Amino acid sequence: MNGRKMRLGAFLMAGGHHISAWRHPDAFAPAGSDIDHFITLARIAERGKFDMVFIEDAAAIRERNPDKASQAARSTSFEPLSLLAALAVNTSHIGLVATASTSYNEPYGLARTFAALDQLSGGRAGWNLVTSASDLEAENFASAGLRPHAERYERAEEFADAALALWDSVGDGAYLPGGAGSAFADPSRLDPVHHRGKHFSVDGILESPRSPQGRPIMVQAGASDTGKELAARTADVVFAASQTIAEAQAYYADVKSRLGKYGRQPDDIRIMPGISPIVAGTEAEARAKYRQLQELIPDAVGVALLASYLSIGDLSAYPVDGPLPDIPQTQAMQSRQQLIVDLGRRENLSIRDLARHFAGARGHWQVIGTPAEIADAMEERFRLGAADGFNVMPPLFPSGLEDFVALVIPELQRRGLFRQDYEGRTLRANLGVPAPASRHSLRA
Amino acid sequence: MMHFGYSLSPFGHDESAWRTAASGDPSAFEALLSQVLQAERAGFDFVLLRDGEARRPTDALSPLATPFEPTMLVSALSTRAKWIGFLAAAATSQHEPYNLARRFSSLDLISHGRAGWIVLGSGDSTRDREYVDVVDGLWDSWEEDAFVYDKADGRFFRPEKMHVLDHKREHFSVRGPLNVNRSPQGKPVLAGLLAGAVDSVAVSSAELIVVDDGPILPDLMASLDALGRSRSEVRIMLDIRRWPEDPMAAADLFERRSASSAADGFVLSPPSTACFSHFTEAVVPELEKRNLIRPEHSGSTLRDHLGLPVPVHPAMPERAS
Repeated sequence: MNGRKMRLGAFLMAGGHHISAWRHPDAFAPAGSDIDHFITLARIAERGKFDMVFIEDAAAIRERNPDKASQAARSTSFEPLSLLAALAVNTSHIGLVATASTSYNEPYGLARTFAALDQLSGGRAGWNLVTSASDLEAENFASAGLRPHAERYERAEEFADAALALWDSVGDGAYLPGGAGSAFADPSRLDPVHHRGKHFSVDGILESPRSPQGRPIMVQAGASDTGKELAARTADVVFAASQTIAEAQAYYADVKSRLGKYGRQPDDIRIMPGISPIVAGTEAEARAKYRQLQELIPDAVGVALLASYLSIGDLSAYPVDGPLPDIPQTQAMQSRQQLIVDLGRRENLSIRDLARHFAGARGHWQVIGTPAEIADAMEERFRLGAADGFNVMPPLFPSGLEDFVALVIPELQRRGLFRQDYEGRTLRANLGVPAPASRHSLRA
Repeated sequence: MMHFGYSLSPFGHDESAWRTAASGDPSAFEALLSQVLQAERAGFDFVLLRDGEARRPTDALSPLATPFEPTMLVSALSTRAKWIGFLAAAATSQHEPYNLARRFSSLDLISHGRAGWIVLGSGDSTRDREYVDVVDGLWDSWEEDAFVYDKADGRFFRPEKMHVLDHKREHFSVRGPLNVNRSPQGKPVLAGLLAGAVDSVAVSSAELIVVDDGPILPDLMASLDALGRSRSEVRIMLDIRRWPEDPMAAADLFERRSASSAADGFVLSPPSTACFSHFTEAVVPELEKRNLIRPEHSGSTLRDHLGLPVPVHPAMPERAS
């Protein structure tokens, strides 16, 4: 049997990924602002030997209309980095990946914050780099409005370079444990950054030892051409949203084919599409679980969510039983928009059908069934060049994650597709992606 | 009864303290946590994390710095020390106000109402005052009872209890609302560190003011008076860097200072961590006898510990009337 193993992320979100998870009879509605809920989830995922937990982010509420917003649980959440700092000291092996924007941060502060997460966790931090596509976010930072797609990515490229340089600014062994007589730090192992670019000027060093994993893991999910190029150059992990295996294979091949020009090997990057699993002992039970959640979605909420994924203001003028109208291409999330439009046309779905579909899995691949059926579906994509692993998005927390750990993980382990135990203590060691060499390790 | 705070550092506040530090790694999280637990057991109200006066290191590592960004460290510590409060310094020149408001609201949720922000100003007091206004306004994005979690009606929050800030002034343009729930203690505590001069942002908005040992205290009191700030809304703490080694003499000093100055308590910034251990073991029992510190407290939030009022949402009195 091929010894290649799947990588798994647990995508955490308040009461669950399903838009109406909070209304479920089993749901603890205030879960999104309860730290103990998140500590519990991280520990369940760690028990299941997941590579990482993942937290998404937007630096704003997600729906402008207060009435629509108030019918969903998505307006407030923890700020991801402080949340993961809390999880870091209450777990021991699982990776901790937070989303942060290159548009509304600056490199020194962000590199420093991720360095802190990396130290607190003993080398388990990861940064999901996003460029932020919503107007609501732009309005919290400047009146100039959302920057065009190309400019956001130009800034992101420069931001990533500055952050990487800062993480290299303090070499292995820069802090001397020596005691009386010696110095506190070895200046020959410091490499101050002097970055002058179009978007940033960055000077200095981080006040933090070098990361136990070399530097934090870089994650991206951009699916546009510029996004894929940035991922090919800098990412260790790529998240993706693909519905069909053909889409997933095309995406996988495309990203891997771009690595060569940056001197990287195909195996240097882990491509992990999202999967929304609804698992139960029998298929009928799984279907019943799904139906129960779908029935809790108010039309207004589902349609508003669909409109936001399409990056258009409003869909409420169109009949909910009719097809999608023609959608103008926007500056924002071009690739997600295309995915939705394609799905609607291909399967001849109404606005309500699409809204319910996306509310459930939010554009990701949904699999409903028994543990063996879910493992079959994952194995197929893993073996046929569509995925190196998956970012798992349970509809309901904690039960959806507990079910996955209790039912699907053992099935994957039995098939030799998933680890029995962690390979190492850092996220990089568990992902099995190469560590960047310290510029200073050569001088030792 | 006086209030006590502890300024956390890996080795102590003396530049050469690292040379005589105990074995192990005093900068590691677990070592810092054990210092915090020591302060908590001794009845301290809060731990304070400085941030190098907002300077960033250019080419040297300082033994005075903690190798964790302060807000991240507070988050981690607060899940393992369950009672003591935390004040973290953060510079207005280094964070966007929306991001900073979120970070501290998050810390307040994670710590169950034990977080405070030490405002490190940029030197431009007009900008800093506007900055604090934005953060304070964002912290009022949600009324106390905004979240109703009504599953049957499908209403997660009451839309009329969400407030869009729409701030547009000289330096900042921030729509809001904040995407974090209202703080468990109303708002995180706002604090200022004064060194040598009275700073206008601290005087106009801080609820907790830490002053360098003494001389500017009269100026500070006069400035608070001039702004019409009620003495009951502000806690003033003296930063104490050294004290006598003899426990009785040390207790005498704290007792004398508490009687003679207008301060409400002390922040200890000891030269070494060994000095602090000695303080908690030998001096605290004497202070307890004299009723200056108490190991047990009734409340659970930082505001409870400091006896500070819980801010009421501006829309509340309006509704009541």
